[in-house]
Amino acid sequence: MKRKLLSILLTTSMLAAVLAGCGSKPAENTPAADTTSEADAGEESEPAADTDESANAPEDTDASAPGEAVTLKWAIWDKDITPYWNAIKEGYEASHEGVTIEMVDLGSTDYMTVLATELSGSGSDFDVVTIKDVPGYATLVSKNTLEPLGSYIADAGIDLSQYGGVDKQVTVDGELYELPFRNDFWVVFYNKDIFDAAGVPYPTNDMTFEEYDDLARQVTDTTFGSQIYGTHYHTWRSAVQLFGVLDGKHSILDGEYDFFKPYYELVLGEEDDQVCRNYADLSAEGLHYSAAFSGGDVAMLNMGSWFISTMIASLQSGEYDSSLCGNWGIVKYPHAEGVEPGSTLGTITGLSVTSVSDKKDAAFDFVKWVSGAEGAKVMAETGNFPALMNDEVAGIISSLEGFPADAESKEALNVSNLYLEVPYAENVSAINDILDTYHKSIMNREVSVDEGIASMNEEVGKLLAQ
Amino acid sequence: MDEKRAVKNKKIISRQARRSLVAYSFIAPNFIGFAIFTLIPIVFAFALAFMQWDGSNEITFVGLKNFIRLADDTFFFAAFKNTIIYVIGTVPLTMIASLALAIVLNQKIKARGFFRTVAFFPYVASLVAITAVWSMIFHPSKGPVNYILLNVFGVAQENLPKWFSGSLVLFTLILFSVWKYMGYYMVIYLAGLQGISAELYEACGLDGANTWQKFKYITWPQLRSTTFFVVVMLTINCFKVYDIAVMLAGGGDGKLSTSATVLVYYIYQNAFNYWDLGYSSAIAMVLFLMVLIITLIQFRYEKKLDA
Repeated sequence: MKRKLLSILLTTSMLAAVLAGCGSKPAENTPAADTTSEADAGEESEPAADTDESANAPEDTDASAPGEAVTLKWAIWDKDITPYWNAIKEGYEASHEGVTIEMVDLGSTDYMTVLATELSGSGSDFDVVTIKDVPGYATLVSKNTLEPLGSYIADAGIDLSQYGGVDKQVTVDGELYELPFRNDFWVVFYNKDIFDAAGVPYPTNDMTFEEYDDLARQVTDTTFGSQIYGTHYHTWRSAVQLFGVLDGKHSILDGEYDFFKPYYELVLGEEDDQVCRNYADLSAEGLHYSAAFSGGDVAMLNMGSWFISTMIASLQSGEYDSSLCGNWGIVKYPHAEGVEPGSTLGTITGLSVTSVSDKKDAAFDFVKWVSGAEGAKVMAETGNFPALMNDEVAGIISSLEGFPADAESKEALNVSNLYLEVPYAENVSAINDILDTYHKSIMNREVSVDEGIASMNEEVGKLLAQ
Repeated sequence: MDEKRAVKNKKIISRQARRSLVAYSFIAPNFIGFAIFTLIPIVFAFALAFMQWDGSNEITFVGLKNFIRLADDTFFFAAFKNTIIYVIGTVPLTMIASLALAIVLNQKIKARGFFRTVAFFPYVASLVAITAVWSMIFHPSKGPVNYILLNVFGVAQENLPKWFSGSLVLFTLILFSVWKYMGYYMVIYLAGLQGISAELYEACGLDGANTWQKFKYITWPQLRSTTFFVVVMLTINCFKVYDIAVMLAGGGDGKLSTSATVLVYYIYQNAFNYWDLGYSSAIAMVLFLMVLIITLIQFRYEKKLDA
């Protein structure tokens, strides 16, 4: 009898535990639901104001109504080492009474994968999510997890031309699902001391690829023990392939990649002559571009503008030896013959409202603020490039302490044409991986440039035909 | 009244059934966990192989489309080929290396415990740390291995092997796995060796057998069940290779080119980069069938030897 009782007890408790486990999703949501009901305390008397209605009523500007408490849950990465998240949160909260921004750090390594997983199924309670890259954005859009922002943008009267056309490169079937708030573009960093020592003039804001290659070769020193590399290419495919898209005639979505060829030949030729470190070495040792440039033996480095704030901060903190790389400058990207100088690659970071959020208006208001003029100022003051660039913002960045003082470096911040490293397409994730794969094969010299490009054409062609 | 009910209850739940209930209740915690986190997902994955699903939108039935797609997928074939080569290279080499180590370290030699620990160490060491060390040792231009090839064996600079790319990368992966896992299988072989009765060797010795004959007629047949276990486990584990490939050949971004890609990597890529869960399940199914068939063959062979 006792045993029977025991077994029944055990079984029931286990079943209960399992059921409780199954039911943990809604239970997890309870605190959030609580805050919602607290937040929407004013709406409690109107039970009719359900999710759908608030979604369909952008004119209902509940967020800006003073005194109403709203908590927005926002997905970000690397909270502790990225200064602008907190600055944005504080800036917005200070000007919007009753709004609390709750940041959730998903880490940077697999951020978009983790986010896509979080937003799959019904368990998510994010209101605003940060979009780190376009392939991840394409995934979230196709999964219907992001709210189309067209009607909100129209109602708020936002002028999209302020983003210099990058919004068009992430538009999906005429609809926009994110607003950019950060926009990094690629420039050439150079070490003035190396050029001075070699008696070679500095790079300029108007260089063709031939002039750039010449310059790199002139400052190169292959003497063992005192080696100087004229230039450096990080292992990303963007650092090599994407010289090809700067003429505005080609894109990585083309399916035909013969236009990569001259740039692969340029870089592989430089590798052969030890003008730059070779890819196989870099790949094996995992050398970071910042370590390469700050080591003082690299004359030029093509890299995104995010590296500017790293340079400034790391030189100030003493992490980088200023005798090795303290005397630096930036110039515009080199350009092909006949192409306007200042054409460069860009990477945007955007904010989206989730389709499951029950506070979409409040969430969009936050997105609008961050991607607008106020947010831009916060970004610039922390040394980052906002998507909304104007003279004032450029002025804030170029007057930061530690920014190169020469006029050329200031002028380098003026971008004439910006092409996203990865513009939107439905299967851009797969295209991206195919190009990455064969970039690796070409740079590792497993295949010739022609073979690698033929494989890119074939595989992407297959994908586009599907 | 109460007594009657008790008698009735006893009839409904017999003594045997009560015993089973107790037993089941003890098995339940493990089984429920297994069912929720393993069994149901596996069954679901089987079904998904015939569906199209991105984890958010509606699941649609697509029949054999996912499997038909496999036939024209360069990356799938590259991953398939690499995985097979890796298994064929790793399984016998690891088995031979671990058996040899076990035999040597089963002798009464000085500091035997120390050497056993040394052999076992790669197995317990962190993968991240040891792949970093391997990357340095086999560094294409600064690594000691290539340095020796250059300066001692006179290999020309431009012919120095690139251990982490091209046709050599699989060789490096195999070498690495053998080194990392031989210690673990050595321990299993050691246990097997210690189970062999010393009398057999004695009798064999009296008959005038030499060392090789002792190995051939006693050690090897006596270790058959151990070898069977080792080979089955090795095969299954080798098919599942992922982390080693990504860590050693992934470069900075952890992406594998066609020369180093493996099936599990491609499954992951399809599932969590492209959210093509149906297609990724179809690849997983191919992997599952391959492992199943090979394991069945191994079991059959073992049974045949038994008979």
